[in-house]
Amino acid sequence: MRKNIRIKHALLGLILAGASTVAVADADLEAKGKALYLNKKKGNCIACHMINDPDAKLAGLQGPPIVAMQARFPDKKQLRAQIWDATVKNPKTIMPPFGRHWILSEDEIDAVVAYIYKF
Amino acid sequence: MKIITSLLAGASLALVASMSSAASTGNTLATVDPEADRLALQAFFQKRFPQVELDDYANGIYALDAASRAQWEEMEEFPPYEFDIEAGEEMFNTPFANGKSYADCFENGGMGIRQNFPYWSDEQDRVVTLELAINQCREANGEKKLKAKKGAIAQISAYMASTSAGNIIDVKIPNDKAKAAYLDGKAQFYSRRGQLNMSCANCHVQGVNIPIRADRTSATLGHVTHFPVFRSKWGELGTLHRRFGGCQNNVRGTPLKAQGKEYSNLEFFMTYMSNGLEVNGPGSRK
Amino acid sequence: MKKYLPLVAALVLSSGSVAAASFEDAFNAERALHGKGHTFTFEGKEYTTDHPEELEAAAEATEANAKALIASAKAKHKEVKAVGYDWTLTKGILKSANKALKAGKFQEAMNLAAQAKYHARMGIRQAQRSAEDWVIMVPGS
Repeated sequence: MRKNIRIKHALLGLILAGASTVAVADADLEAKGKALYLNKKKGNCIACHMINDPDAKLAGLQGPPIVAMQARFPDKKQLRAQIWDATVKNPKTIMPPFGRHWILSEDEIDAVVAYIYKF
Repeated sequence: MKIITSLLAGASLALVASMSSAASTGNTLATVDPEADRLALQAFFQKRFPQVELDDYANGIYALDAASRAQWEEMEEFPPYEFDIEAGEEMFNTPFANGKSYADCFENGGMGIRQNFPYWSDEQDRVVTLELAINQCREANGEKKLKAKKGAIAQISAYMASTSAGNIIDVKIPNDKAKAAYLDGKAQFYSRRGQLNMSCANCHVQGVNIPIRADRTSATLGHVTHFPVFRSKWGELGTLHRRFGGCQNNVRGTPLKAQGKEYSNLEFFMTYMSNGLEVNGPGSRK
Repeated sequence: MKKYLPLVAALVLSSGSVAAASFEDAFNAERALHGKGHTFTFEGKEYTTDHPEELEAAAEATEANAKALIASAKAKHKEVKAVGYDWTLTKGILKSANKALKAGKFQEAMNLAAQAKYHARMGIRQAQRSAEDWVIMVPGS
């Protein structure tokens, strides 16, 4: 019985450790995405998209604000595709095709998606 | 929340504005109609900003953005380009080594003629801008060409513009070859370029007066009236083609040659769009 | 909150999916959704979402291969400059590729050359696309 409990504890520990590793990885990805969002030479999303993050001051308004992302993009991959090339859905858009023109790498696009999907 | 609501309202207004229609004209030599293009573009802006008088477009973003207008008017009280006009006047009046001067190359001695540039030249088979004509004048008189983007050429151009203040821009398209140059300029204006994949129209038609960070983009109507321009960002005077290069660089496209045919055609199109507005160069901008 | 819900709804509704017609569209649509290293079928044949340039950079990381890829990237760069659609960063990426080559970092050199070559190819493509559809940017069209 005592052995069982110990095993259970060990298992619980493993699960928790696993979950927290995932959480740390997520947080890292989101932090990377945020840095790209703000960096003028990288994503520079802040130039056009307002976002409810205290570090994102004086955002531009050329594009829609980053709000209700999960409602607007129930499939996260569709959000990814929108960043990759916004001209597919709107041929006149001012938004640069971050993927098609390799402005950001694929990993960088994933990071931006991870960051803005929370809003 | 209030902020978000108003921001969303702003974004939806922008959507509506970009959908509002103005008559479109052709993309072939047979169908393109410069005068219809000009009227359609004016109508587009007047519908978008009904409170702005047409003439005021010569004042660029300050016609649309009241917040920055006061600051700009203050700057214009002690114009940063005054020295440049004086320097330009002195150079304009200094004879070349052969005894002739700029006045000999231009109609009316070069005074009050800014509104007729650029013009189509059959002999040269190209659009001739004022800066190109200044350099051609020098070369015809055995002088070296000036650099095309800043310095002396901008100062001489500024002086010539200042003698034309208030004159109405009146660019003409006399024949099909001129029309082809106009069409090329129009195509350039609306073509996406650079890694950021933007056309001039993305910022200066569609996105006019909508903030990019803290900056607002100006309407293309009236763009050419105040050149050459003293830009605070440059801390000096520059020509229109210098500005074209800066814009192209901003969208991560390698700039084309100043006074080359491409930029000259673009200037031809843009100036035709501003026909009817007053010359008010040189001007100052942020 | 309630006030802006209809606007959000409008934004949600405006995001529909688009059917791919050409291989280019199909490739881009798959890459856009999944990034690289994903496989998809187009007209019965299987493809990966890697760019041709990335596949070239996946060759063995040797000095000879790095040199060859840099050379072909430079040739493409020359092509895009000739049509006037060169992008500003490409030159610097090629420089970095050369630097990596000299430092014996062949894989890095190949990756950079692949990106530069892709940029050059996309610039040429941009020239074609602009020629075809610039008129949609005219207000009212």
